[in-house]
Amino acid sequence: MIAPFLIAYATVFAYPVYKMFALSFTDAPLVGEGQWVGFDNYIRLFHQKLFYTSVWNTGYFVVLTVIPNTLIGLGLALMVVRLKGWMQSLILVLFFIPYILPVSVVTQIWKWVLDQQFGIAQFIIEAFTGGRVSVFRDPIWAMPMVALVTVWWTNGFNLLLFIAGLRNIPHDYYEAAMLDGATRWQCFKRITWPLIWPVTALVLTLQLILQLKIFDQVYLLTEGGPFNSTYVLLQLVYREAFRSNHGGLGSAVAVILFVIIVVVSVLQYQLLRVRER
Amino acid sequence: MRKLLKLAVSAAIALLPSAAAFAQTDITWWDFLSGGDGVRMKALIKEFNDTHPDIKINATTLEWGVPFYTKVQTSAAVGQQPDIMTYHMSRYPLAVPTGILRPFTDEELASAGIKKENYVDAAWKQATFDNKVYGIPFDVHSIVLYYNKTILKEAGLLGDDGLPKGLDGLDNFNAALDKIKATGKVEYPLSLHTDEGGSMWRVFYTLLSQQGAKFIDGDQILPGDAGVKALKTMANWVSSGYSPKLISYEASIALFTSGKAAMHVNGVWEVPTMTDLAKKGELGFEWGAIEIPNLLGAQATWADSHSFAVPNSESKPITPEKLKAVLQVIAWMNEHSISWASAGHIPAYKPVTDSKEFKEMQPNATYAKLADTAVFDPVSKLAGVAGPIYEATQNFVVPALNGQLDPEDAIDQMREELQSQQ
Repeated sequence: MIAPFLIAYATVFAYPVYKMFALSFTDAPLVGEGQWVGFDNYIRLFHQKLFYTSVWNTGYFVVLTVIPNTLIGLGLALMVVRLKGWMQSLILVLFFIPYILPVSVVTQIWKWVLDQQFGIAQFIIEAFTGGRVSVFRDPIWAMPMVALVTVWWTNGFNLLLFIAGLRNIPHDYYEAAMLDGATRWQCFKRITWPLIWPVTALVLTLQLILQLKIFDQVYLLTEGGPFNSTYVLLQLVYREAFRSNHGGLGSAVAVILFVIIVVVSVLQYQLLRVRER
Repeated sequence: MRKLLKLAVSAAIALLPSAAAFAQTDITWWDFLSGGDGVRMKALIKEFNDTHPDIKINATTLEWGVPFYTKVQTSAAVGQQPDIMTYHMSRYPLAVPTGILRPFTDEELASAGIKKENYVDAAWKQATFDNKVYGIPFDVHSIVLYYNKTILKEAGLLGDDGLPKGLDGLDNFNAALDKIKATGKVEYPLSLHTDEGGSMWRVFYTLLSQQGAKFIDGDQILPGDAGVKALKTMANWVSSGYSPKLISYEASIALFTSGKAAMHVNGVWEVPTMTDLAKKGELGFEWGAIEIPNLLGAQATWADSHSFAVPNSESKPITPEKLKAVLQVIAWMNEHSISWASAGHIPAYKPVTDSKEFKEMQPNATYAKLADTAVFDPVSKLAGVAGPIYEATQNFVVPALNGQLDPEDAIDQMREELQSQQ
């Protein structure tokens, strides 16, 4: 009975993962087999400045997105949950719409909005900086702007998860608290926050895994520039494997990203569970 | 089940004769030509299909650059490759070692009447490795200087022959930019797409070659300080306000076509854009195009060449019958490349460039001499359209050009980045 599952698991998950590890020890091109080279690919990577830049930038992006995205999702959910009936559905739809858009559409919209020549957001930027900024070509602005686009794009999903969590909290708790004269803040701190925590931990972990795999937005908005200030790990995989025809080296970067994701997400989930108790 | 099989077999037999009667060879064609030249290419394909009932080209235009070349490679791996594709000549050093291109034998070429001596020598050589021919050149294309005759005349920079004068040498050129600025008629004297790595590579490489310097010399990248000088020259145009800062490809063309910039550096492939606008009466000024002036010592211009190639697939190689048709297509395209020349390019097929018709074609005839001093990309795995050098240019030259990075620093970082990929 378990055979169909095993076959599916082996072909679509276990084998590709094994292949990724195996390839990373060879000098394979993009297509085809290569010679065994031991740890050469890894040694080469650890001597490459761009590798460290990519690790750093990926981390920076995670910091810019994961916690803000979770907090904004929770904040919006707390507001949306108070609405009633069709109004709530409408607002939910409005917040969820960006999430169903393909990444290419999202990046195109923001490229227009932030365009140096005619973008409408330049009025806001001008108010702060006194001049127009070509944000995706500026080393200081580029990464935060990619993060902003990402939060705008993916927040709808977190909002849904939080709404589901908030609806699971029985209304009686709040009623009882109100009768005892609890303030709104006390209600949030003593009831909502502890009871929503499991969902928060889940959202944080999902976000962490998702954002460590950042690629599309960077590729479409900044191409890793200017001067590598937005170069991320998955882009290094893409460059080595597809652009430079180094399948082996590309796999080595993929393995490192894989290990980082496993370690960081397990660590984070464990830490969050400690808090839960 | 048996019944079904019987039915299928009889249906197949019934279809056979009709298929034999229309022995038409279907050719899958991929290109990356989506601008004004794409329109001309589609017209050529249509003409071919209309005049050849036995061959049908099914053409698809894909996205230029990395997506195109990656797709070719992955599609060939699984046997889903096109039968013929356009390919940049500068990519051959990168492509041939990976085995992505199928070489043509001498007999195959001879059977289609394709002769080496009919093609521009430099281009033919670029596609030849170990005496094997991997592609047939179609054109030579380069960057040129587009200019607005009305503005230049006003600034006293137009000769009696309608060609700009006094642009040779960097000092003269910059003085000319000043004069144009002084007329107060334009926002910018010179429009460059300053946020686009590919375009800036063409300008940077032109300025580098004009100093007689090489980008790659042996295993050294950017030896000496010619790179810094080229980059400083470009950065100076931006910082002095002669050229717009961080502006996209489309916007920089619009600056020129709307009369807000007096001169514009771009590929010959934008000639159709100007021709078509002028024909519709939407340009509002007379325009011309000349070879990039000699600014830094020697006449030289970056150049590349479009060619035709056949992808090599181990899982599903091209059939001899299809290959025959493909070679016929290539030969026909080159023989009819005079209409390709109207897309701005200089045909690689000599009988066409020697023709009277081409010699009278404007503005091609004005800048066609640039083919003699054209400098192709370095022969290296790092070079070529959408290769590592393009990426490095986007990453380091563009910020330096726009004042976000020190030119010396940019060249150092570019050198280091490319060295690590050698």
